[in-house]
Amino acid sequence: MNSKKVKIIYFKEMKDMLRDRRTLISMILVPILLFPILIFGMSSLMIKMTKQAAKRVNPIVVIGGDNAPALFSQLKVDKSFEIVPESDYQTALKDKKITAALEFSTDFEKKIDAGDSAQIKIYYDAAEIRSEMASGKLDNLFKAFQDSVVTERLKVKKVDRSLLHPVKVQKENLAPKEKMGGFFLAMFLPYMIMIMALTGAMYPAIDLTAGEKERGTMETLLVSPASRGEITSGKFLAVFTASLITSIVSTGSMVITAGSSFTRFEEMGKGAVFSVNPLSILILFLLMIPYCCLASSILLSLSLFAKSYKEAQSYLSPLLIVIILPAMVSFLPGFELSARLAFIPVINTSLVLKEVLLGTYHWGFIGLIFLSTTIYALIAIFITRRLFEREQVLFRT
Amino acid sequence: MIKTINLSKTFQDKKRGEIRAVDNVNLECQPGKIFGLLGLNGAGKTTLMRLLSTVLKPTSGTAKINGFDIISDPQKVRANIGFLSSDTALYPRLTAQETVTYFARLNGLDEDLIQQRTDELFRIFNMESFRDRRVDKLSSGMKQKVSLARTIIHNPKILILDEPTLGLDVITSRNIIQFIRKAKEEDKCVLFSTHIMYEAEKLCDEIAVIHQGKILAVGTLEKLRDTVRLKNLDEIFVKLVGEEHEF
Ligand SMILES: Nc1ncnc2c1ncn2[C@@H]1O[C@H](COP(=O)(O)OP(=O)(O)O)[C@@H](O)[C@H]1O
Ligand SMILES: [Mg+2]
Repeated sequence: MNSKKVKIIYFKEMKDMLRDRRTLISMILVPILLFPILIFGMSSLMIKMTKQAAKRVNPIVVIGGDNAPALFSQLKVDKSFEIVPESDYQTALKDKKITAALEFSTDFEKKIDAGDSAQIKIYYDAAEIRSEMASGKLDNLFKAFQDSVVTERLKVKKVDRSLLHPVKVQKENLAPKEKMGGFFLAMFLPYMIMIMALTGAMYPAIDLTAGEKERGTMETLLVSPASRGEITSGKFLAVFTASLITSIVSTGSMVITAGSSFTRFEEMGKGAVFSVNPLSILILFLLMIPYCCLASSILLSLSLFAKSYKEAQSYLSPLLIVIILPAMVSFLPGFELSARLAFIPVINTSLVLKEVLLGTYHWGFIGLIFLSTTIYALIAIFITRRLFEREQVLFRT
Repeated sequence: MIKTINLSKTFQDKKRGEIRAVDNVNLECQPGKIFGLLGLNGAGKTTLMRLLSTVLKPTSGTAKINGFDIISDPQKVRANIGFLSSDTALYPRLTAQETVTYFARLNGLDEDLIQQRTDELFRIFNMESFRDRRVDKLSSGMKQKVSLARTIIHNPKILILDEPTLGLDVITSRNIIQFIRKAKEEDKCVLFSTHIMYEAEKLCDEIAVIHQGKILAVGTLEKLRDTVRLKNLDEIFVKLVGEEHEF
C-alpha cells in the first residue's frame, strides 16, 4: 500500500464531502443547532409550564361549606380556586367543568372545636392532570389548616411543638458545582455525542460507497492504478474524519450551550453552574477515537453492500437503533461500569464517558475500554477491507 | 499489446445458475490497430473488458497487457490502460480540472507533468472554457470530453473502450470516433466494443464476434467476408450468431 495514494484519495474524498450539502448539514449544522434548541426549548417549556400551573385558577364545587365557615371563607379568597355553584359535581367533574369537589361533614366545625377529628372529602379525577394538581393544592391547604389547629390545641394543653418532631433532618448538597454541571452533561453528552458521531458519518459513508456505485464513479476509481487497500484506507479515513468532526462540534455545542446563561437553568431552581474539567474533555476525545473508527468502518461495510443510496439507508437505520439503545445506558441510574461491561462495545464507552464527565477517572477501565474498542475497530476495518476486495459486493446485480 | 489466454469468467447467479459470461477467449490486439469486439447485449463484452482492466478476476485463464499479467500484476496493468465505458462516470462535485488532476495523481504523475498534460488535453479537446466548472453543471458532451481526458491523462499505451458511444448524441459520438482514430495514429492499441455494425465496420482493423461468452470468429472484415461468403457485416454477424437467436 502506498501512503501517498491513500493521501490523494483521502483529500479528494474530503473535498468532495465538504461540497455535499447533505453531509455538511448532518456533520456540522445539526450538531451546532440541536443542543441549543433542545436545551433552550426544554428549559423554557418547563419554566412556562411551571408558571402557568402556578397562575391557573381551579374551579371547584364545595358541598356543605357552611359546616366549615372558617375554611370556606379562606377558600373563597384563595386566588387559585374559584368556587362554582354546580349541583351535580360528578357530571361536572367528568365534563371537566370543575377540577375537584369538596365535601365538609355536617358537624365539621363542631368537631374541630371539640378537639375531635372532622372529615373532608376531596373528589377528583386521578386520570386528569389538572384535577390531580388541584387535589394536591387542596391537600396542601388543609395540611396548613391542620397544622394551625394542632398548634392551637398544643398551646391550650401547654405542650411544646418539639414533642411532635423529635428528629430534625437537615439536608445540604456538598457536590461541587462542577459535578452538578457534569451530572446533567454526563447523562446526555455520551449518548448524544455517540449518536451524532454516527449520524454525522452516515451520509459520507453512503456517499463514498453506495453513492459511488449509483452514480457509476466506483468503476472509474477501480480502474485507476489505486489498489483496493488504498481506496479503502482513503475512504475510511474520510468517513472517520467526518465522524470525529461531528463529535467535536457536538461536544463544543453542548458544553457551550449548557454553560451559557440563556438556558435559564437558574430560573428552574437548580442553580447548577455548568463547567467541565478540561481533562474530562481530553479523555472523552481520546475514547471517541476508537469509537469513531468502529462506527465508521461499520457504516462503510454496510453501505458498501448496497447498490443505491436508498438501499444503504435502509441498511443503516436498524444500525442506528442497535447503537442508540446500548448508548442509552448512560441514562440509566445505577448502571455502573464493571470489568465485564468494559468489553461490550458502545455500552462500555457510554458508561465510562459518564464517569469521566463526573470527574471520576478509573484509569484501569479507561485503558481497558480504549484498548478493547480499538481492537473491535481494527477487526471492523479489516472486514471492510476484505469486502472491498470482493467483486460480488462491488458488482452486485 | 493485449493477449488473452483461455480467459474465462463464470458468474454464479441465484436465479439463472451458472453464467459463462466469458468462455475460453483467446485474442491478440496489436499496437496501432483498432480491435473491435462485436456482440449483442449480454454477449460478455463488458465482462471481458472488466477482466482486462482487473476489476474482475478471471475464473480461469489469464491475459497479458503490455507484458503485465492481469492476475499477478493488476496495478501495473491498470497503470498501462485507459479504460472508458458507460459505467465509468465522473464525480459530480469535482470540476473538470480537479477530475483530470485527481486521476493523474492516482497514476503517479508528478505535479509538473500533470500541469503540462492537463494544459495540453484541455486545449486539444477544447475544454478551456469549462475548466473550473463542476461536472454536474456540464452538458453531456462536455462530460464526455472530461471522461476522455481522464482516460488518457497518463498517456496509456492501451485503450479499452466499452461501448463508448452508447447513449450519446451524434456529435459526441463523432468526437469519440475521431478520438479513437487519433489514438490509432499515435500507435496505441485500442480494444473497442460495440453492438453497432456500422461503427465496427467503419473503424476496426480487426473484428471479433462474441456471443454467449465465446468468440465465434475473428479477423479483418475481408477475412470475415471470405469465411462466411457474405458482404455486409450485419449479414455476417447474423449468420455467425445464428438466425434463431431473437430477443
Ligand atoms: N456481476 C455479475 N453477476 C452475475 N452475472 C453477471 C454479472 N455481470 C454480468 N453478468 C452476466 O454475464 C453476461 C454477460 O454480461 P456483459 O458482460 O455485461 O455483456 P455485454 O457487455 O456484452 O452486454 C450476461 O448474461 C450478464 O447478465
Ligand atoms: Mg456491456
